[in-house]
Order: sequence, then structure tokens, then C-alpha cells
Amino acid sequence: MGSTIIEKIIAKSTGKELVTPDERLWVDVDLAVIRDFGGPNVILEYEEHFGDQKVHDPNKIAITFDLHVPAKDEKVAGNQKICRDFAHKQRIRNLFDVGSGVGQHVLLEKGLVNAGDIIAGTDSHMNLLGCANSFASGVGTTDIVAAWAKGKLWFKVPGTIKIVLDGNLEKPTSAKDVILHVLKNVGCEGALYKSVEICGPATENMSLSERITLTSMVTEMSGKAAFTPPHDKIMDYLKKRTNKEQVGIFPDEDAQYEEEYDFDISGLEPQIACPDSPDNVKPVSEVEGTPVDEVFIGSCTNGRYEDLYEVAQILNKNKVADGVRLIVLPSTAEVARAALDNGLYQIFFEAGAVVPNPSCGLCTTGHHGILAPGEVLVSTSNRNFPGKVGKGGEVYLASPATAATSSVKGEITVPGGA
Amino acid sequence: MKGKAWVIGDNIDTDQIYPGKYLPLTDVKEMAKHALEGIDRLEDFSELVAQGDFVVAGVNFGCGSSREHAAVCLREVGVAMVIAESFARIYYRNTVNIGYPVLESKDITQKVQDGDVLETDASNGIIKNERTGETIQALPLSGLEREISDAGGLLQYMKKTTE
Repeated sequence: MGSTIIEKIIAKSTGKELVTPDERLWVDVDLAVIRDFGGPNVILEYEEHFGDQKVHDPNKIAITFDLHVPAKDEKVAGNQKICRDFAHKQRIRNLFDVGSGVGQHVLLEKGLVNAGDIIAGTDSHMNLLGCANSFASGVGTTDIVAAWAKGKLWFKVPGTIKIVLDGNLEKPTSAKDVILHVLKNVGCEGALYKSVEICGPATENMSLSERITLTSMVTEMSGKAAFTPPHDKIMDYLKKRTNKEQVGIFPDEDAQYEEEYDFDISGLEPQIACPDSPDNVKPVSEVEGTPVDEVFIGSCTNGRYEDLYEVAQILNKNKVADGVRLIVLPSTAEVARAALDNGLYQIFFEAGAVVPNPSCGLCTTGHHGILAPGEVLVSTSNRNFPGKVGKGGEVYLASPATAATSSVKGEITVPGGA
Repeated sequence: MKGKAWVIGDNIDTDQIYPGKYLPLTDVKEMAKHALEGIDRLEDFSELVAQGDFVVAGVNFGCGSSREHAAVCLREVGVAMVIAESFARIYYRNTVNIGYPVLESKDITQKVQDGDVLETDASNGIIKNERTGETIQALPLSGLEREISDAGGLLQYMKKTTE
């Protein structure tokens, strides 16, 4: 019997030839990550249980500041200091301070992610790193304390769902529209406790950014891990960043899948998730004309250079509609730098956008652009549960093209029109 | 364990259990004050709940973010146990890791109404509803999760097994 990607990764880590779904196993963790939020709780709990004991391996720890950055108030400032002091004391080199950007993206850029790695982090969207063929999963405070102290974590081997994408992506439809369409069909609990492999002809030529968009939204299906199969250009990217040879992990041809979904994405219209659930997805055309107060472009799902480039094409020589606030947020400092060098900032500023420092922005009621009750936001982020961006706010999830077009029109608008 | 049931719906996410704006808090007593604050009718839950009450939820309870605060705040505010039709993965993990047992029970929101008095046993998963007289068999923890939870949580379990 063959194995799926996650079964192979867990088997390799445990030294077993074969693992099967529902087995509980202890695995070696290659990287255990905290953020500026949730992170201080990890450190306080670590010190409560282990005092000044050295961590298992400081090189297998990363600390990313991406939510309330730079510190928005005294409490946050204190929390960030806890992280910096601990990193100094424990000789943790991989601390990426305010200004670095969205954690998972920074880890990719800084060469901390290898194909086949097992990564745990206090971020539910950790699993987007499956774009790089690693088993990355969101966990809580106590898990990270354990990984830091002992280098190991327990996991239940999940069953795997296979999602096959056929056909061709036709602009202005994007990877975001595709994954929203998939989410509508799989549902918010459709992949609960499962690993999800997204594959098929339509994914083969997808860039790293597009793969990030796909894998990040598996969190909204309640998936434990997400993967796109390895591709030479992704492996080349990782090799360049890590300075290590990369061995991509493919599923066996006779791997056992619990469920399979097939989608032909040719001719798919742009999609939008309506309040208050990420699987409440409709064609954008059905809600066209809905007035908008704010538009957010960024997040771990859609804050890449390619996303910003597409937005700049739409905003070029246009203005954001009166009464609409547009926030454009590069995911990392590297993305921001490329956007600056290539003239994108000029376009954003001339259109009337606000461009804060690289971070998670308003996600998780973080920092830039929280809503007042009753306000409507079109966001390229990933989640629109009630209160996600401020109590009483209504959040629509869409592609960068739909979001940018809507910001110019002042109402939800199908992209690509005249 | 005996207490009153607070019945809530499906897909209650972590922002409703513990709103994101309180993430910077590190003191568990402070976290407790904001338990379920994101659900409109339960804004004052921390003042209304009695020690030993139960939260009874539909499917996918605790979906959304990875914040362990969402499990800790309910324990600290005095909720004896969460009984749900299903749990989101990270939420479930977090409850195991902090030794705060949960029960899974299909259709529980059909069998229990807000305010019903329940008697439950986490070890065998038996729930008795005083109002209806019904005895409900829920799914208790088993295997490794049970061992971790019974030890008091993941860190206690690891200390016990490695020392």
C-alpha cells in the first residue's frame, strides 16, 4: 500500500517504514515558531515549568513579530520585550523583529523551511508552508513549550483528502477564486483533522505565491496540513534560500485517500466569500453593487509581490472611490522592497491607498484598519467569522483583483471589466 | 460533575470564544473575564456563569485561530467541561495539552436545551439530562490523548515519561 505526502513525512521522522491514519506518534520537530501574540504565553509557561533550563535546540526555534507591530500599546511592548529577552538569554538567533513581516513568509525567505520538514507554530495558518512541501501545523501554547523543551510533539496521523484541479486559470480569475470555489464545496469542517493535497494539471505551473494562496485557505476547511506537490521551481526556490539540497516528497501512485474532489476551473468566474463564513461563497457577480467602506489587500494569503503587482495594474491612473479606505500591505520587508523598487508604492500613494509596514495588518483584530459596527470590508485575507475584524463589521473575502477593482468603484465589482 | 448547560451553535470560532483584541493578555484570571464575550447574547458570560456549568456546542467548536487562550479562558471562568458535536483540531489539541477534558457527542444540541441541568462523567462519557431523564453516551478521550489529559497535560505527561 502506498503513502500520501504526510504519511511519508511522518514515517521519515519516526524512522518507521509505513504509518497509517489514526496512529498516535511522537515526531521530531524541525522548527517550533511563536509570534508576538501568543508567544509571550509560551515563554512564561516554559519558564514556569523549566526555569532557566536551556531549550532543546535554539536553532530549531523561530520568533516572528507580525501582529501588533511596531508595539501598539504598553502591554504589547512588554510582551515583545519578553520575547526579545528570552531569545537573547537562550541564544535564539532566528528572531524576526517588527518590520520583518508575516511569519510564515519570512521563514520561507530566510531559508528556514525545507521540503519534508515538520514545523509547528502558534499560528493557525502555519499549514500554508505545505506550499514548500513541509508538514506545518498550527498548535497552541503548550505544544510549543513541549517542542522547545524536548524537541518532540505528538500527532495523530491524519487521513488525506485529495483535491484535483483540472483546466486552465483564466484571468482575472486567480488562485484565490479557485480556492474559494473549493471551500464552498468542501465546507468549513470538510477537512477536519485531515491532510489536504491540492494537485492536478491546473496547479503544476502555479507559482509559490499562488500555492501559498491555496494552502493557506485549507485552514478554513479545518485541515491539519495542506500540500501542493513538489515542483522544480519551488524546490529551486527553497534550495536558493536554504543553501541545502531539497528532496521533494511526492505521494505514491497507490496512496490511499479518504476522499477525492475534482474541479474543472476553466471558465470559473471570480468568487467571493460573504459574511459570516469563509464557505459562504458566491460568484462576485451575485453581490455586485454592495457598497464598501474599506478594502484590505494583504495577509498571509494574498500579500505577495505578484498580488501587489496585479493590484497596481488596476489602481494605475485610478483613484480610490470617495469614502473608501484602501489599505495595501506587503507581506514582508522583501516584498515591500521589491514593490518600492518597481514603482508600485508610487501607484498606491497616487491612488490614495494607505500602505503600512509589512505585517498581518487588521487580521485577528490586529492593527491597521479595524472596522466599526456595520461597516463593510472587502479583504484578500482568509477568514470572515463574526468579529474577526471588529465587532459588527461585515467581511467579504475575495481576490486581489476583485478587492482592488471594488476599491476604485466604491462597491463590490467583478474585476476585468472596462 | 453537575451543572447547568449553556447551549450555543455550530462553528463557534475562537474570536467568539476569546476575542482577538484580548490576545496580548498573559494572566489567566484576566483571560477568564472575556470568555465567550464575542457571542452577542453572552457578552457578560463571565458574570452569569456558575462554577461547574457546562458549555454545549454544535459542530466544529473552536475553529479559527490557534490561541490556547480560548481553552484556558473557559477553564478559568469555571466551565467544568465543553461538550460539542465536534471540535476544531487545534482547540481539541489544546484541551488535551492543558488537561481540560472535553466530550464529543453527536446531536447533543438537539438533546439539551439552554438551562438544562446535566450530570456528566468525563471518564466514561455518560451525560444525564435531568429535565428529559435521558442518558446520553458521549465519546470520552482515549489512547494517548487520555493519558496526556489524565497526567494533567502535555508538560506533566512528558516529565512523567522522561524522568
